[in-house]
Amino acid sequence: MEGIALALIVCAILAIIARRFALPTIPCYLLAGLVLGRSGLQLVEPSEVSSYLTSLGLLFLLFFMGLEIRPSRIWSNQSAILTSGVIDLLINGVIGFSAAYLLGFSSFDSVIVAAAFFISSTAMAVSSLVENHKLLMREAETVVWLMIFEDIALIVILALLGASSEPITMTLLKIALFLLAIIIIVRVAREEIVAIMKREDDLPVLFTFSVLITVAALSLVLKVPESFMVIALGTALGAVDTGAFERHAKPFRDVFLIIFFVFFGIGIDFFAGGVQLPAIIAISAAAVLSKLASGIVIGRAVHGDAMSGIEVWSNTIGRGEFSIAVATLYGSAIVSSTIAAVVIVTSIVGSFVAGASTRIGDGIWALTNKGERNDKPGNGEERSPPVLEGP
Amino acid sequence: MPLHSINLPGVGTKYELITEWGDTLAVFFLKAGNIQIYALPRGSRAPAVVDLSPVEARRVGSVLTGAIMEADRESVEVAFSALSDLRISIHTYIIPGSMAGKGIEELQIRARTGVTIIAVSRGDKNIVNPSPSFTFSKDDAVVAIGESDQLRQFEREYLGG
Repeated sequence: MEGIALALIVCAILAIIARRFALPTIPCYLLAGLVLGRSGLQLVEPSEVSSYLTSLGLLFLLFFMGLEIRPSRIWSNQSAILTSGVIDLLINGVIGFSAAYLLGFSSFDSVIVAAAFFISSTAMAVSSLVENHKLLMREAETVVWLMIFEDIALIVILALLGASSEPITMTLLKIALFLLAIIIIVRVAREEIVAIMKREDDLPVLFTFSVLITVAALSLVLKVPESFMVIALGTALGAVDTGAFERHAKPFRDVFLIIFFVFFGIGIDFFAGGVQLPAIIAISAAAVLSKLASGIVIGRAVHGDAMSGIEVWSNTIGRGEFSIAVATLYGSAIVSSTIAAVVIVTSIVGSFVAGASTRIGDGIWALTNKGERNDKPGNGEERSPPVLEGP
Repeated sequence: MPLHSINLPGVGTKYELITEWGDTLAVFFLKAGNIQIYALPRGSRAPAVVDLSPVEARRVGSVLTGAIMEADRESVEVAFSALSDLRISIHTYIIPGSMAGKGIEELQIRARTGVTIIAVSRGDKNIVNPSPSFTFSKDDAVVAIGESDQLRQFEREYLGG
């Protein structure tokens, strides 16, 4: 227990410092974990309590992600999502897999590294857009939809990786039935759920927490991937009242997620897994550059302009919560160390590049382009937002 | 000019207006609760951006809808079109030293100007519908209701405006 207290206090102090300098907090928590844990001072050891809280952090992270997913909205934006998403998946998947495989990882480990390479941090991308005042750029929408595609791809990856030793058809059947049960129950009890979530007492919090834990526990009993089922639960409940569930789940998510990040760092024995520093540097550099490659291709494909790609890149370099989630669920010791390094390097590089990208873009633009450049945001033809007449 | 509204998952809602002159104005209601306003003049590459709290955003909103606001005074005019265009103004004032220590009844505000004081805010305490015997202190913020002519008369007679 005192280990958790120490870890949380260190994280709180780091969060204050990080916020003051507008730095991303996730790498700070990870670094705190590395320093406090097996790789560093060995002050904190993972315990049964910490691993339970860690798993809660992961469940709440995925539940929250599910709440944001609206199938109908995604359906009506397919074209915007698909082009950039598929480019992102292919380029980063291939570079991630190749880099890991060349460094001597097994093919399963290489798939995990590729998945971690592919999934940028949604939290970092969103705060980068907001804090660097980039929301009006036409690339902002591309980045937002890219994050949604990555979330959906993550769901598929989790479902595939989570398949147990049973025949895959059996697992898929169980997933389908469980999903159907969730959807039917939420549909039938919709009125009651709305009524519960509207209450002012402690019932909405209790309801949110217990439904989440119940679905996770049932998943374990039925041997289906709990991560996948929790996302599905989020999506089903998000259709009832996204705002209310977000409000009541947020405090849990915030605290448990910090425990999740710091204990991920604590549990890593950085130097025992045979990790070599040059390999770590190489793979982290590959992680920064693979998003540059995918960003430029996306910029050309979606906006007809490679410079747009630089902007997309600058906001999506940082890997974070979902890469760590994949590592926690399926990574071996060496994969976890590698992904920890990738998260730390990419998120720090990302936060600096995102702040500087406007200047980088202007510099390159001034050097290469003398004519009129049509990058006025908001009048792009490539999207057709729903039109409301009047406020 | 049409106003586009679009939901950005995980970020919030964006309202975007391109003016007749080709300037772009965008308002983002962020999930975190605050509001960002972007203004991009025609032909410019870099927008000016303002970060607002919800309270600040509402103030800007009431300025844009035509309410007058000077430093610490705010007012809203409400028109009831169904009631033969009844227009009522609600205005806030700060009580000057000359009114301090006097009661609502003693000042005869309603009898002399037609204005009614409907609320008083003192420090962090709010008094709604103060009684006629209520005594003002200096720097009380009061909410007054009446027709705009009556409010102007109130300003002249009591605030020396």
